[in-house]
Amino acid sequence: MPAEFIHHKNRVLILAFIFSESIFFAFLITAFVLYHGRSPNGPNAHNTLDPLKTGMYSIILWASSLTMWLSEKSMMNFRMDRCKRWLEATMILGGIFLIGQGFEYHGMFAKGISIGTDLFATTFFSTTGFHGLHVFIGLIVLLIMRGLTSAGFGQEEYQREGFIAASYYWHFVDAIWVAVFFILYVWGTR
Amino acid sequence: MHASSVLQAHSRLDQPIVHLTIVVTAIMFAILVLVFFLVVYASLRYRRRPGMAEPYQNFGNKKLEITWTVLPFLLLVSIFVLTVITMGDSDPPPTTANGADPSPDLVIIGHQFWWEVRYPKAGFTTANEIHLPAGQRLLTRLEAADVIHDFWVPELGRKMDMIPGTPNELWLLADHPGTFLGTCAEFCGNEHAWMRIRVISQTPQDFADWEQQQAQSPSLPNNPAAERGEQLFRSMSCANCHTIRGVSSADVGPDLTHLASRETLAAGRLENNPVNLEAWLHDPNNFKPQSYMPNANLKPDDLSAMVAYLETLR
Amino acid sequence: MSEVPVALPVLRKLERFEKEAGMLSWLASVDHKQIGILYLITALIFFIAGGVEALLMRTQLMFPENRFLLPDAYNQIFTMHGTTMIFLVVVPGLLGLMVYLVPLMIGARDMAFPRLNALAYWLYVIGGCLLYFSFFAHDAPAAGWFAYTPLSEKPYSNLQGMDYWALSLLVIGVGTVATGLNVIATVATMRVKGMSLRHLPLFTWMSLINSFLIVAAMPALNAALVMLLIDRQLHGNFFKPAAGGTPIYWQHVFWNFGHPEVYIMVLPAFGIISEVIPVFSRKVIYGYAVVAGSTVAIALLSFGVWAHHMFAVGMGHFLDMIFAASSMLIAVPTGIKIFNWIATMWGGAIRFTTSMWFAVAFLIMFTIGGLSGVMFAVVPIDWQLTDTYFVVAHMHYVLFGGTAFAVFAGIYYWFPKFTGRMLSETLGKWHFWLTFIGLNLTFMVQHNLGILGMPRRVFTYPNIHSWNVLNFISTMGAYVLGISVIVFLWNVIRSRRHGALAGPDPWDAWTLEWATSSPPPVHNFNYVPPVRSARPLWDLKHPENPDWQRGRRTPHHAR
Repeated sequence: MPAEFIHHKNRVLILAFIFSESIFFAFLITAFVLYHGRSPNGPNAHNTLDPLKTGMYSIILWASSLTMWLSEKSMMNFRMDRCKRWLEATMILGGIFLIGQGFEYHGMFAKGISIGTDLFATTFFSTTGFHGLHVFIGLIVLLIMRGLTSAGFGQEEYQREGFIAASYYWHFVDAIWVAVFFILYVWGTR
Repeated sequence: MHASSVLQAHSRLDQPIVHLTIVVTAIMFAILVLVFFLVVYASLRYRRRPGMAEPYQNFGNKKLEITWTVLPFLLLVSIFVLTVITMGDSDPPPTTANGADPSPDLVIIGHQFWWEVRYPKAGFTTANEIHLPAGQRLLTRLEAADVIHDFWVPELGRKMDMIPGTPNELWLLADHPGTFLGTCAEFCGNEHAWMRIRVISQTPQDFADWEQQQAQSPSLPNNPAAERGEQLFRSMSCANCHTIRGVSSADVGPDLTHLASRETLAAGRLENNPVNLEAWLHDPNNFKPQSYMPNANLKPDDLSAMVAYLETLR
Repeated sequence: MSEVPVALPVLRKLERFEKEAGMLSWLASVDHKQIGILYLITALIFFIAGGVEALLMRTQLMFPENRFLLPDAYNQIFTMHGTTMIFLVVVPGLLGLMVYLVPLMIGARDMAFPRLNALAYWLYVIGGCLLYFSFFAHDAPAAGWFAYTPLSEKPYSNLQGMDYWALSLLVIGVGTVATGLNVIATVATMRVKGMSLRHLPLFTWMSLINSFLIVAAMPALNAALVMLLIDRQLHGNFFKPAAGGTPIYWQHVFWNFGHPEVYIMVLPAFGIISEVIPVFSRKVIYGYAVVAGSTVAIALLSFGVWAHHMFAVGMGHFLDMIFAASSMLIAVPTGIKIFNWIATMWGGAIRFTTSMWFAVAFLIMFTIGGLSGVMFAVVPIDWQLTDTYFVVAHMHYVLFGGTAFAVFAGIYYWFPKFTGRMLSETLGKWHFWLTFIGLNLTFMVQHNLGILGMPRRVFTYPNIHSWNVLNFISTMGAYVLGISVIVFLWNVIRSRRHGALAGPDPWDAWTLEWATSSPPPVHNFNYVPPVRSARPLWDLKHPENPDWQRGRRTPHHAR
C-alpha cells in the first residue's frame, strides 16, 4: 500500500502515451494514402479488401469499447462481479476481431500476397499489423486486469486509476481502428 | 587545384545568390557583433565587487520585450522577401519563355561513383566531364541510377539532389569559357569523396566542335598494341561494364568512348595521362578504394596494350 | 509548510538499503537521483566513445588524400559519431539532469513512475550496447546518422549495420518516450502546494515542454525505423522507386522527428542557462513569462519547419518558401531569449564561477550557431551551403557551443548538489578555456571550408591549399578538445574525493533543490519551504522583498 497516492498520474501518463502512439499510426496511414493508386496492376485495396466483412469485425471491435466502458463504470460503482463480466466480454470481442484479421491475412497469404508484394501490400500489412499488435497487447493488459480483479483488486482508488488508464488504452486502440478502417477499407477501396 | 568558392559567381544564375549571401552574412555578423558587445560589456561592467548588496531585482519590461521581438521579426520579413526574389532569379522554372515544357538539353545521371552525361539532342552519351556553351543556358535533367546523389558546382549556382525515381531539372549556365569544379553533395557511399564534377564551358564554336567529336564512333585502332588492347577489352570483363561505341554496350561503369579526350580519370580522381591511366588500371583500389571497379590483374604487357588502346579513344 | 507523507519504516529501509548495498543499490535503484546520475555517467562514457570517433575522423582529415582510414571505416565512424552523440550522449545526458532535478525543483519525493524511470535508463544502456555491438559484428552502420534511403536499404547497405542501427534506436526510443511521459505526469500531478505553473523553475518549464516534444517527435522516428526494417528484412517497398515508392518519404518522416529532435537537444540547455545566469548575476530572470512562453512557441513551431532540411530535394519553390518562412519565424522566439539572458546580467553583480563562464560563453557560441542556422533558412543560401562543412560548423556551434556548454555550466552548478562536494574552480577554468579554444579552433574554420566548396561526409579531399590549411587547423582544435575532456574527467574524479564540502546551498540560490542537503536524502525533503513564487528560497532569505510582493506597494499582511 503506497504511503501517498498521486491522483490522476496514471491518466496523464496514458493520455500522453496515446497522443504519442497516434502520431506513429499517422505516419503509417500517411504512407498508405501517399502510395494509394501506385499499385494498379497488382493486388490493391480495391481488388483485395472486403469492407463489408471487415466492417462486421470492426463493429465487434467498437462494441468492445462499449463493454469496456461498462466494465469501468461497474468498477466505479464497486460492482466487481459485473466489472469482471464486462471485462471478459471486452476480451472476447477483441479476440474475435483479431481472429477475423487472422482470417483476412490468411486469405491474402493464400493468394500469394505478403508484405513485400507491392506498395499496397506493404502499407496495408504494416498499418493493420501494427494495429493488430496494439490490440494484442491490449488483450494482455486486459487479461492482467482480469487476473487482478480476481485477487480483490478494485477497492483502492489507485487501483481504479490504473484500471481507468488501461481502459483509456483500449479505447485508443478502437479509435485508431476508426481511422484505419475508414481510410484503408472505405476510402481505399472506392 | 583551386577551391570552388560559393562567393564566386561565374553564372548570372549564381550572381543573385552571391549577392544575397553577402548581404545576409553581413546582417548576421552585425547581430553577432551586437550580442558579443552586449555580453562582454555586461560581464565587465556588472562584475560583482566586494561589499555589494543584492542588485535591484528587475522582472522585465513589456515594452522592451515587444521591441526586441518585433524588430527581429521585421528584419526577417525583409530577408524573406529578398529570399523569394533570389529564388526566382537564380532558379528559373524549367519551361520555355511561353511556358512550354521543353525536353532537356542535358541529362546527368548519378551513379555510385561516377556521372553519366547525355546530350539527347546531339545524340551521344559521355561520362564525368560536362561541356557547356558559354553564355547559353542548358536545361539539365538530373536523375540517379542507384542512391541519392547531388549535383553541385558552386561557381555556377545551386545544388540539386538526384533522386532515383524522381527526376529534377535545373538550368546550367556558365557566363564565359572556363573550367568549373564541383562535387557530389549527398553522401552516396564509400567513394562519395571522389565523385567530383568538372564542367568545361567553351565558346559556342568550340562547343559545337566538341559535340561533333563526341558524337563520332571511334575509329579502329591503328597499331598492334592498341589492337591487342581492344581485343583484351572485349574478352575480359571490361566490356560487361563499360560502353565503347561500336565495341560494347553497358552502363555499370562510365562510357569510355572518348576517354582520352577528358581531363581527368575516375570522376576527378586523377589527371588524365598515360602514366596515371596505367597506374589506375594496375590497381584501381589504390586510388578509389572500395569503388566498384575490380582489379583486372593485368599482366604488364596486357596493361600496356590496354593503355595504348584507351589512349586512341579521343 | 508541506509535510512529506512518507511512512518512516519504509524510509529507513530505503536508506539502509542504499548505504549497505553499495554498487548493487545502483543497479536495482528506482530512486530518480541515482538514475539521474547513472544517465550522466553513461552519457559521459558514450561521450568519450563519440569523441574518440571524432578524433579518428579529424586525424584522417588532417592531410589531403590521407590513408589513415579506408572509406568504409571512415563512413562507419562518422555515422557512429553522429548517432552516438545525439542518441547516446546529448539526449540521455539531458534526460539525466531532468529526472534528477525536476522532482526536487517541484518539491516532490520522486518521479511519478520510479520503476518506469529505471526501465527507461536500462533500455538506453541496452540500446547503446546493441548499437556498439555492430562494430564487433564487423559492420557498424555507415549511411550517416539520418540514414537516407536508398543508401540505407539493401543492396546498398547489405550487411547488418543498418539493422543494428534501427533496432538500437527503437530500443533507446522507447526509453526516451517513457521518460518524457514520466516527466509530464510528474510535473502535472506532483507539484508541491503553492507551485502553480507560473512558479515553476525555468529548468522545469523547459523539461516539461521538452517532454511534449519528445512524445510527439519520437513516434515519427519509430515509424521511419519500422518502415526501413520492413523494407530491409521483409522486402517491403516504402522507399523503393522500382515499386512506386519514393526515397523522399523517408526524408519527410525522418525530419518530422529530426527537427523537433534538435530542439529536444537544446531546450533543457535553455533551462540550465535560465537557472545559472540569474543565480550568478544575483538577479531574477528577466522576463520569466517571455522565456517560458517563447519556448512553448518554439515547441509548436518546431513541427512546421522540417523540410528546411530538404531544400535541395527539388520540392518546388512554393513549398521551399513556406518552410523558409516558418524556419525564419522560429528564429524569433529562440533569439529573444538571448536578449532576456543578457538583460538578466545587466545591472547585476556577476560572479564568474566556472559555471558562469560556460553560461556566458554559451550566449555567444549559441548565437553564432543560431545565426548560421538562420542563414540556412534563406533558401538560395541553403542551395549553396547545405551538405557542406558550413552545416557541420553550424550544428557543432549549436550542439557543442550551445548544449554542451550549457550542460557543463549545469554540471559545475549542480555537482555540489549531486555529490556534496564542489568541483575544483582551478581545474574548471582550465577546462573552460581549453574547451572554448578547442571548440572555436575546430569549428570556426569549417565555416570557411563550406564556403570554399568542401562537402560534408567525405573521407578525404583533393590537394587544395586552402582546404589543407583549414583542415589541419580544425584537427589541431579537435585534439585540444580531447585534452579538455581529460581535464574535465580529472576534475570530476578528483573532486568526488577531495572537493570542498558543499553544504546544502553553496551558491546562495533560490529554487527548491537547494533547500535540502547535498546530496539530498532518499526522500528528497524533510521539509519543503512555502512556495509563493518562482524563487521560494529568495522569498525566505529576503522577507523584506519577496518576489510575490512584486507590484504591490504595501506588504500583503500590513492592513
